[in-house]
Amino acid sequence: MTPLDAIATRPVPQLLEEGGAGDQPPKPSTRGGGPLASAAKYARIFRIALIERMTYRGDFLFGTVLRFLPIVTTILLWRAIYEGSGQSELGGFQYREMVAYLLLTNISRMFSSMPGLAAGIAREVREGTLKRYLVQPLDLVGYLLASRIAHKVAYISMAFLPYAGLFYICRGYFDGFPDAPTLAAYALSLVLAFLVGFFFEATVGMVGFWFLEVTSILYIVMTLNYFISGHMLPIDLLPQPWAGILKVLPFQYMAYFPAVVFLGKVRGWDLVLHLALELFWVIAFMVLARTLYRTGLKRYSAFGG
Amino acid sequence: MFAALGRYTLAREMAFRGNFLVKVSVELLWLGILVAFYRTVFASTSNIANWSEPEYFFFVGCYFALNGLIEMLFLDNCNEFAELVRTGDLDFLLLKPIDEQFLVSCRRIDWGTAPNLAMGAIVMVLALVQSEWVFDPLRVAAFFITFGCGVSIAYSCMFLLTSISIWMVRNQSLMEMWWLFTSLARYPREIFSGRWAEPIGGFFTYCIPILLVSNVPANVMVRVLDPWMIAWTVVASASLLWISRRFFHFALKSYRSASS
Repeated sequence: MTPLDAIATRPVPQLLEEGGAGDQPPKPSTRGGGPLASAAKYARIFRIALIERMTYRGDFLFGTVLRFLPIVTTILLWRAIYEGSGQSELGGFQYREMVAYLLLTNISRMFSSMPGLAAGIAREVREGTLKRYLVQPLDLVGYLLASRIAHKVAYISMAFLPYAGLFYICRGYFDGFPDAPTLAAYALSLVLAFLVGFFFEATVGMVGFWFLEVTSILYIVMTLNYFISGHMLPIDLLPQPWAGILKVLPFQYMAYFPAVVFLGKVRGWDLVLHLALELFWVIAFMVLARTLYRTGLKRYSAFGG
Repeated sequence: MFAALGRYTLAREMAFRGNFLVKVSVELLWLGILVAFYRTVFASTSNIANWSEPEYFFFVGCYFALNGLIEMLFLDNCNEFAELVRTGDLDFLLLKPIDEQFLVSCRRIDWGTAPNLAMGAIVMVLALVQSEWVFDPLRVAAFFITFGCGVSIAYSCMFLLTSISIWMVRNQSLMEMWWLFTSLARYPREIFSGRWAEPIGGFFTYCIPILLVSNVPANVMVRVLDPWMIAWTVVASASLLWISRRFFHFALKSYRSASS
């Protein structure tokens, strides 16, 4: 079950050699009749994943509603913190802004969290089921991305009403909607947050080619990520040099950055620069995930296949 | 029987020592994050809801130890219950000449969370030293009694939720309800002040007394030794234990042994 207790790897099996590349694993293929056919294929994957996700909508909606209750305790905790401090502002955040920030990080995490993605990739490697992506004109990363978009669409559609209700109740913590350019930047930061989260976790999952079981690594990474992404509190509250270090790392884009964009705390060229940096991290993790995938396939043994 | 099950699960856990060490590391990391979070907060304030920094850290340590004990003894078992119902494997537990509740909720011990008890205890001791706490046997006795009651209340709430799986089968949201409960127990009861928060605090103190779980033991040790609250905690824990047992047996009447 664990990386340290991993099963020894075997040479590349017959299955991979049948690809005609000798000791080279077959390249993950996206072919299937041109870009239009390829788009139709991934649209179909999206549709199937969406239907699957909506099957348990009652259970899903119930779970979403329940998630709001810890938000109540968080609001109460921060109220007690501000009252105890006797200050109106902590780390550049007034109490209202702090609550708004913590509410907005829930939206950020709604986009950037990828439950089960890395563990799923590692399971495909460990159980040998990864071969289905090698023998079909289907790219693993493309397939997972289409499925994940479907899951997010389903989740966001179902969570929209409860979240709209929550934000309506908590409207007193916000200064209304930001202007159109800020809203556009916020929407872009959320889309990029989704992509950073996806490719980051896919990268962790690809480590499964070497360790087979990544759950343990994942627990550590995700536990740490919960704090350093700014989900628990704004990074600005941390002392230097920690705040400075965390603002250079990509994790802030998964919770902190979209929230401060909405609150108008990052503006002008600073905003453009950070959006460019967020895009840079998307590309960096995408390249890393693909590189690890290609390298990993060279040592893949198709256990259980 | 419990000792034998404990030895068996320990042997299983030690077969994957690497996994055990990683689990402990994750718990240690989480405690470190909690400490970092509250240290950051206390850099800006002298108290939270009238809990000073050492008092609050005692509370954090108490919650961490108590939650660790619950996870170690019951969480994995209760999590698996819905699957036992769905597959019909619950039959095998019901047929054994052993109490069903014991088998359902205590058959496995998650040794990976056992060090949480020690970690929580270390935080509590450090907090006591920091607050220059004077030893008081009455407070210590009250702490152990209410700590036990806190475990009992948390277990009863979890077991009530678990029992609902007999009807629901898929209990993903019910387990989320459990995490909701732990999030309520994670903060001092005093934060529930004000027009809309006070009724919520009252509800979770007197109707579903989850707020008593870590609040009362921490309070009796480092703040107020309130005999009425201690008495209420004892009564609430005994009542909830009885209610959860009755509810489980009531739920079992609806078990249809599907798929077996």
